[in-house]
Amino acid sequence: MSLSVQHFTRTYAGSGGSVFTAVDDLSFDVRGGEIVGLIGPNGAGKTTTLRSLAGILRSTAGHISIDGHDIVDDAVAAKRVLAFMPDEPHLFEYLTVAEHLRLMARLFTVVDFEPRARALLEELELTGKERSLPGELSRGMRQKVVIACGLVRPASTLLFDEPLTGLDPVGIRRMRHTIVARARAGACVLLSSHLLHLVEEICTRVIIMDRGRKVADGTVAELASRDDLAVPGSSLEQIFMRVTGQDRDGRIVKSEV
Amino acid sequence: MLSASLYIIVCSAKNRFAMRLRRLREPRYLIGAIVGAAYFYFAVFRRMGVGRGTGRRGRASISPSVMLAAYGSAAGFAGTGLLLLAALAWIFPADRGLLAFSEAEIHLLLPAPMTRRQLLVHRLLRSQLPLLFGAVVSSLFVPLAGGSRLRFGIGMFIVLVTARIYFTGVTLSRARLGAWRATERRVAWAPLALLLTAVAVVAVSILRAHQAMPIGTFAGISSNVGRAIGRGPAAVAVWPFAAVVGPLFAGSYRQFFTRLPGALAVLAVLVEWVLRSAEIFQHTPDTVQRPTVDRPRSGGAVRARNVGWTLGLSGRTESLFLWKNAMQTLRSTNVFSMLPFVIPAIVLTVVGATVRMSATERRGPAAALATTALFLAGVCALLGPQAMRSDLRGDLRHLDVLKTWPVKSSAVIRGEMLWPTLALTLCTWFALICATVFSAAAFPSLPLAERLSLAAAAAVLAPALVAAQLMVLNAAAVLFPAWVSTGPQRPRGLDAMGQRLILLFGVILALIVTIGPGVIAGGIIGFVFYRLVGAVSLVPAAIVCLAIVAGEIGLVTEMLGAAYDRVDLSEVERE
Repeated sequence: MSLSVQHFTRTYAGSGGSVFTAVDDLSFDVRGGEIVGLIGPNGAGKTTTLRSLAGILRSTAGHISIDGHDIVDDAVAAKRVLAFMPDEPHLFEYLTVAEHLRLMARLFTVVDFEPRARALLEELELTGKERSLPGELSRGMRQKVVIACGLVRPASTLLFDEPLTGLDPVGIRRMRHTIVARARAGACVLLSSHLLHLVEEICTRVIIMDRGRKVADGTVAELASRDDLAVPGSSLEQIFMRVTGQDRDGRIVKSEV
Repeated sequence: MLSASLYIIVCSAKNRFAMRLRRLREPRYLIGAIVGAAYFYFAVFRRMGVGRGTGRRGRASISPSVMLAAYGSAAGFAGTGLLLLAALAWIFPADRGLLAFSEAEIHLLLPAPMTRRQLLVHRLLRSQLPLLFGAVVSSLFVPLAGGSRLRFGIGMFIVLVTARIYFTGVTLSRARLGAWRATERRVAWAPLALLLTAVAVVAVSILRAHQAMPIGTFAGISSNVGRAIGRGPAAVAVWPFAAVVGPLFAGSYRQFFTRLPGALAVLAVLVEWVLRSAEIFQHTPDTVQRPTVDRPRSGGAVRARNVGWTLGLSGRTESLFLWKNAMQTLRSTNVFSMLPFVIPAIVLTVVGATVRMSATERRGPAAALATTALFLAGVCALLGPQAMRSDLRGDLRHLDVLKTWPVKSSAVIRGEMLWPTLALTLCTWFALICATVFSAAAFPSLPLAERLSLAAAAAVLAPALVAAQLMVLNAAAVLFPAWVSTGPQRPRGLDAMGQRLILLFGVILALIVTIGPGVIAGGIIGFVFYRLVGAVSLVPAAIVCLAIVAGEIGLVTEMLGAAYDRVDLSEVERE
């Protein structure tokens, strides 16, 4: 179980024929059991990276493979072991919660669907909402449905883009446990979040991105021990501020690390 | 508050215009804009020039008042029509008018210290530019001489503004018809009571006029209606509605300026009614339309209707899409959501059937039913694929979800086409069965064997015709996703109009190319065997055509799979 990103680059066509590079020559690996936190300021390229890993966007250059399956050349096999939970809960307006889960079970050939779905609905506090349409649910509830759709199949690679957006404190706590439990079961987890304390708490490794490039990669302890990134005893927040060139109040103090 | 509203309006208009200009740097918008401008030139300005030229040679331009003059007072007739529409608005509230707040207005203006009256005034001001644009465009497209074009534009603007304000008032009042406070109930019921009285007065007058002079022809009926609404209480009841359309149907500037005060007076009364209603109703829950993510397109609160169809946990990808799209159609469809499609379909069917029956002089309920069913089958098979968008065109907004699914791309495209093909084919078959059952009355000269053969051939051809159209439309969505609108609001502007025109011609051309081989092969089979077995030969001909089209669809969807994989989500035009 592994996720491999090699020299991944993604550009967008801008107005007037200009080209905007959202992610530039990004390489990293995530092994089974690891929870890797992907952090960076807005516009750093985190969501573009995750959406490309999920097969939504095509890479401009480089290779992405999930469990050894290339996301472009062997897309069906790669996606079969992948679960992507986006920050915006996009659901089908006219399918109920239960029908969304059933749809996922059909797509990903989940054999023990009924008990898995029941347990998941219980775990995410969605019991009693099975027959509700997305329009009848709050944003937090819709986010939980998206997460349930991702977790109902036994995926070996889990991609979370701001998974806690819209969740209540109980939901956040449960979600944290769920992510850790999946990693302990052997899944490789890549998680993008602005909640640095969450990343520091549950992630085994952290990748910091800035303006499309990887600027740091390692455990929090490793990053804190590097003289060029932190002073001794730094927290992840302090490392983040320093790496992205901002002072304690968020003011930009340098343009490049 | 007025200055803040004007600031929003001016800045938005300025920035929208600048954005439209900026995006012309992209070829897809530039090409669209060139085609749109060319169409506009040839369809409007060139024709206006030709109209002026022919006018000098003695050909009079058409005036709306001239068009309706034969049937009495144009404004009176249009006013009666407006009265009917005004009454229907209480039963079928299609437009929430000024209450359809945007997301930004909900989050930035509703929490601001503004009264509901101020909010409505803001919405009223904000709606003026689109309405003005609509009036200008309509005045350009209607074939009128220069002077009357300006009058028509102003008249149309007054009608559009009045309608928008009236719909807002209806929405506000409908929500309070059952209010527990007596004052609110009275305010809500008063306009409805007035309107019902006006409808009753006009209906009784027309009925009496018709009883006094029963006439069978259309001209006679309209003459009676003209007489009924031209005098007595009916004239008073129709007056506000006729006054609104008065300037639109003015034959001269003198007439226009004479009618203008009446129209403006009605408009002023309506504005006051809406603003007063808003003030009186502001202490009860609001009627603001809040657009939310994943809210059903119909806008209302939809319950999950049990349709008794559970998705199996195994099977082909195509059947999964069949189920998904069927759920969407079956749950989103109700009387109100069908109206925009059913009404034009009924109008087309009735007009076509009437013309055909008038030409052949076939009378009687059976003949009428057969002819109507036949036209309905045609409408389903030929226009249905354009209207029924529960396929990839509708799912473009869910593309980021679909792209994460571990399924073959060609199966996605085939699956997306499956439900609309099935639904439209079943509708066409039903109409064809009705037409066949009663065909003896409508086509007495055709023997039974021929009628049955024709019906069977049509039934075989129906899925081919529907699926071929859907394939072309879905191929357009895959190849040109940026040119397919993903929401209920169609993109506006010259470039968007040009894109639609290019797509339309492309779709027609692709359809001819797709169906062509099947029609030629089927035609040869039919021609060869016709001498031997007669009309029955149409059935194998249709089967050959269906087989060829099915093969082409299989081939093309496989090829489109690669294009689907390459679709870039950043190209899809979001709402």
